[in-house]
Amino acid sequence: MNGLILTFHLAGINNQNFIMRDEQTGTYWQQISGRAISGPLAGQSLRLVPSDELTFALWKSEQPNGIVLKDVPGDAADYSPRDWEVKVQRYPVVLSFPEHGFKPRDVMLGIQAFGEARAFPYELVLREKLVQDRVGTEPVILLVGPDGQSVRAFRASEDFYRTPDGSMMDSGTGSRWNFKGCAVDGKAKGMCLERIEAIKDFWFDWRNYHPGTSVYSGSGRRKVHSADR
Amino acid sequence: MTPLNRRKPSLIVILASLAGAVFFLAYPNYVIRPMRPQGGQELRAALLVLRHQYAAELLCAAVALVALVFYWRSNARRGSRTAAMAGTVIVLLCAALSRINIYEVMFHPAGTPSFQPVRETKLDGGEQVLAVGSGVNSRAYPIRNISYHHVVNDVAGGVPIVVTY
Repeated sequence: MNGLILTFHLAGINNQNFIMRDEQTGTYWQQISGRAISGPLAGQSLRLVPSDELTFALWKSEQPNGIVLKDVPGDAADYSPRDWEVKVQRYPVVLSFPEHGFKPRDVMLGIQAFGEARAFPYELVLREKLVQDRVGTEPVILLVGPDGQSVRAFRASEDFYRTPDGSMMDSGTGSRWNFKGCAVDGKAKGMCLERIEAIKDFWFDWRNYHPGTSVYSGSGRRKVHSADR
Repeated sequence: MTPLNRRKPSLIVILASLAGAVFFLAYPNYVIRPMRPQGGQELRAALLVLRHQYAAELLCAAVALVALVFYWRSNARRGSRTAAMAGTVIVLLCAALSRINIYEVMFHPAGTPSFQPVRETKLDGGEQVLAVGSGVNSRAYPIRNISYHHVVNDVAGGVPIVVTY
């Protein structure tokens, strides 16, 4: 940032989204937006690094040469158990946006791109496995991975359908595409779709930072159509 | 006996320092606390106080100490001296407490991150990770770890990043 390397610390909470403070300038930053909200760098934003939230087994199969963050000895006993997300559902909330019939802690996959913020209910995406939709001006697809939990979003106008192993086929070229969004056979072999950042967030938090968000409510007819193939 | 008009100002200054020290410590902690909604204006005010909190606390402490010296010299009564001393000690205590980041007491900072190759890790395949980069620059941050530390300062592929959850 401005030629400075900032070191961040957990420093507070704002409607259940945390605030960080950097050591170098003492500026306060909002976690969800990466925006400086108070201090010398107020108004600036951190650049979002593309990232992926997925199961370790799936990541390992894609990145065998990767490295994994180690536990901090002494703190590992306090780390969240696997059912953390279930427990969190019961924590109180301070914001509530009852539109669309969502509970505050319903999990969303949020996409902010092409001039629109759009929330895709995580459970609905998991059920549908492949979602073809539109965000702003562009057609997008959300694909559930072979682990049945991880989801990636791509910009793609082709008509896709999902195969049971977690990859997808496009009806135009008959190519098979893997979870990375790359065609592994057929005419499109070697091509990769453009990834779109989708973040996992609670409804109340996504809605708070994207007041104008639209919501995906199911593919309805299109899904029946693809299932008919 | 020293006239009242020489004693009184130093006592008022001690009390004012005490009020200031308590306010600068308590207000941000009152506004910015879990399980409470934060309004936009009060949050801006609380962060403004936080940014200048330590300087304000030091100022209160310095002023209180000077006022205590004056008060001590001009007032021989033991009870009054003790009360003035106690007030000043609370001011100093507030200054010390303002150095403590409660959030890092609850969730210890991750420090400099260390990594291990995929084949050496014992992480269960079903655990969730947050991943960045690809190939040899690929890094996975187990959610169980970063949902506790919340903030990990790292350098990935030569780029300084902060991993948050």
